[in-house]
Amino acid sequence: MKVLVAVKRVVDYNVKVRVKADGSDVDVANVKMSMNPFDEIAVEEAVRLKEAGKATEIVVVSMGVKQCEETLRTALAMGADRAILVETDTELQPLAVAKLLKAVADKEQPQLLIVGKQAIDDDANQTGQMAAALLGWAQGTFASKVDVAAETVDVTREIDGGLETVKLRLPAVVTADLRLNEPRFIKLPNIMAAKKKPLEKTSPADLGVDVTPRLKTLKVAEPAKRSAGIKVANAAELVAKLKNDAKVL
Amino acid sequence: MLTSPQLSALQAIIPAERIHCDADSLDRYGQDWTRYTRPQAAAVVFPLSIEEVQAVVRWANAQGVAIVPSGGRTGLSGGAVAAQGEVVLSFERMNRIDQFDPLARTVRCQAGVVTAALQAFAQEQGLLYPVDFASSGSSQIGGNIATNAGGIRVVRYGMTRDWIAGLTVVTGSGELLQCNLGLNKNNSGYDFRHLFIGSEGTLGLVVEATVRLCDPAPPSAVLLLAVPQLPDIMAVFHAFRSRLTLQAFEFFSDQALTHVLAARQAQPPLAERQPFYVLLECELPPSADDAPVLQAFEHCLEQGWVVDGVLAQSQQQARALWRLREGISAAITPRTPYKNDIAVVISRLPDFVSWLQALLARDYPDFEVLWYGHIGDGNLHINVLKPESWELEEFRHACEAVNKQVFALVAEFAGSMSAEHGVGLLKRDYLGVTRSAADIALMRGVKAVFDPNNIMNPGKLLRRAG
Ligand SMILES: Cc1cc2nc3c(=O)[nH]c(=O)nc-3n(C[C@H](O)[C@H](O)[C@H](O)COP(=O)(O)OP(=O)(O)OC[C@H]3O[C@@H](n4cnc5c(N)ncnc54)[C@H](O)[C@@H]3O)c2cc1C
Ligand SMILES: Cc1cc2nc3c(=O)[nH]c(=O)nc-3n(C[C@H](O)[C@H](O)[C@H](O)COP(=O)(O)OP(=O)(O)OC[C@H]3O[C@@H](n4cnc5c(N)ncnc54)[C@H](O)[C@@H]3O)c2cc1C
Repeated sequence: MKVLVAVKRVVDYNVKVRVKADGSDVDVANVKMSMNPFDEIAVEEAVRLKEAGKATEIVVVSMGVKQCEETLRTALAMGADRAILVETDTELQPLAVAKLLKAVADKEQPQLLIVGKQAIDDDANQTGQMAAALLGWAQGTFASKVDVAAETVDVTREIDGGLETVKLRLPAVVTADLRLNEPRFIKLPNIMAAKKKPLEKTSPADLGVDVTPRLKTLKVAEPAKRSAGIKVANAAELVAKLKNDAKVL
Repeated sequence: MLTSPQLSALQAIIPAERIHCDADSLDRYGQDWTRYTRPQAAAVVFPLSIEEVQAVVRWANAQGVAIVPSGGRTGLSGGAVAAQGEVVLSFERMNRIDQFDPLARTVRCQAGVVTAALQAFAQEQGLLYPVDFASSGSSQIGGNIATNAGGIRVVRYGMTRDWIAGLTVVTGSGELLQCNLGLNKNNSGYDFRHLFIGSEGTLGLVVEATVRLCDPAPPSAVLLLAVPQLPDIMAVFHAFRSRLTLQAFEFFSDQALTHVLAARQAQPPLAERQPFYVLLECELPPSADDAPVLQAFEHCLEQGWVVDGVLAQSQQQARALWRLREGISAAITPRTPYKNDIAVVISRLPDFVSWLQALLARDYPDFEVLWYGHIGDGNLHINVLKPESWELEEFRHACEAVNKQVFALVAEFAGSMSAEHGVGLLKRDYLGVTRSAADIALMRGVKAVFDPNNIMNPGKLLRRAG
């Protein structure tokens, strides 16, 4: 079984981003970039499927600027077999990415497409769902467990207040949630070996996809600052404040 | 116990609500991180100002009461322990940061500023206070100065001493001194600043400090390397340092790792375990190209010094690797470890550790001995864990018996019996391992100059005379 995994290059989870002075976007100049954590989980799951003898080949794909190559090399070092970079400097929105994913999937014919449930930069949570719709495949979103059989895959989903398990016919799209697995540390020898693994470059034009943005960001703002705490003199005052000011009692 | 005239005289200078004599406070403020001495403090005072500190010192001189300066009480040598009816002077409420000078890149802070608060302040200014260690969330800048604390970035940035541009101190006789005034250049005679740094509260009290800040660290790579043979670690150090600027070079034994993993319920970073690991952080070139990192690794691999390794791919992974090193101390605290904090010149380290390994295997066959530390500075933390069934005193005596051999070896290699934790109470009787009799006599002389009535932390660092 061939598995296709999509990986996105995003601002590192631990970086505190600042909003640009003109409110047009966040400032990402000179900040640490890493693989989207949910995509890391997606790659890890694919590698585990291969280690378990269920997957035969793992192809990773990333869309975006040239530096996405680094993100792909990371996925190769984790255990993917080959990589595809759909290179473009155009800002990519979820629908465009979903269309590109469909085009790559049409070419590669994987049985399983695993993507992160969302990217931590835009938090759109749309790409996997839209790709499934465009491909006409079944989808198992917010996966915390993936069990692959010959023709089907059981996906345990994290839903409000519990878990739901769905059985999907292959080929299918799975979106990875946080508890699916804990990605491994990458071994240095594997990083060296990954430099020699094949990385193919293509472009939206080659794939025949129009990626022109269709949405416009009106404004980006900092979250409201938390006001400073206050000290109360005793328990009675605390209860009064919780009742009258915070209105939680 | 203070007599009632003593107490009323104290209350005349410090309001009663900032003098604590309840059992809980006496116990809490009467000890540091070590657990070998039963606290016996007479009172805990919390001054708010330099004037109040001076008044307490004058009071102590007049009454013949000893003072234990107290910071975050994370010290590992018993320096902040009050076990002989001393008054603990806590800097907890003197924690103001003020007077940031962006041009000079210095910040003035009161002694009780928590190290992590200073680090956070520097970061808000787009700068770095680079001295860092696992206890920085509780330790205070005053305590760091009094112990000349080192930590995990000494390889790159040096010790606390290197970051102090000025000190305000109250001497044991109550005199207020301004040492070095925050100047970069000041060759106006003896520099008392450096006497007070590392003096462990035996000369006087640090009340304020002017601290230097620097540019934030450039992007870095964090690696964990598996090393089968301890003496090879310095070859790994050399291989990386000759290609890259090191930010940190730490090591720990597999046994130490086992304790951290158990405490954190975490998985090992490398499935195949090796006896030792190096945790290394190095600056990347502006291109963020990791080629030199891989080159250094490949060289170590070819030489057989290293058999495997991982490279953090995100800051999250970098932090996870760091927690394996920084979590050791907390993970083994319940086992009341007996700690040795020793150092030799790094070029002699491979030889030294070979001897030390043989010695510990011979003399501590029944105890679990953990190795870790800032090995890039030649600094080893040897921790012996107390078997659950042993009494604390019995265990301490057993460890002290082995110390004789360990310290004889340290002396033979012209090393330090206390690399960064200070001498305090626990290491006091080993001072002669590193300092000559002439040294120690002069230290006593210096103490007598600044603290003529011997009220400042008596019995710490130097044994009481007579
Ligand atoms: C988990 C852990 C990890 C650690 N890692 C490191 C490390 O990597 N490197 C390292 O160097 N240390 C380390 N330490 C030891 C300790 O944190 C440092 O020595 C620290 O500098 C102590 O600061 P403190 O404020 O807690 O001082 P305290 O323990 O309160 O006091 C230490 C000494 O300084 C004196 N003192 C305190 N404040 C003043 C003052 N204002 N004026 C005069 N004297 C004063 C005390 O009397 C005492 O002698 C570690 C400790 C722990 C618990
Ligand atoms: C043209 C010129 C330019 C200069 N530029 C600078 C400058 O940029 N920066 C700067 O800091 N200085 C400068 N100086 C001053 C001087 O060169 C330095 O102070 C230098 O360090 C003095 O070294 P010296 O060996 O000549 O010492 P000397 O002049 O011989 O002695 C200086 C002091 O040190 C003592 N001393 C000498 N040797 C020892 C010893 N082994 N043990 C104990 N005490 C000793 C002497 O008793 C005396 O008190 C300059 C001088 C000149 C003439």
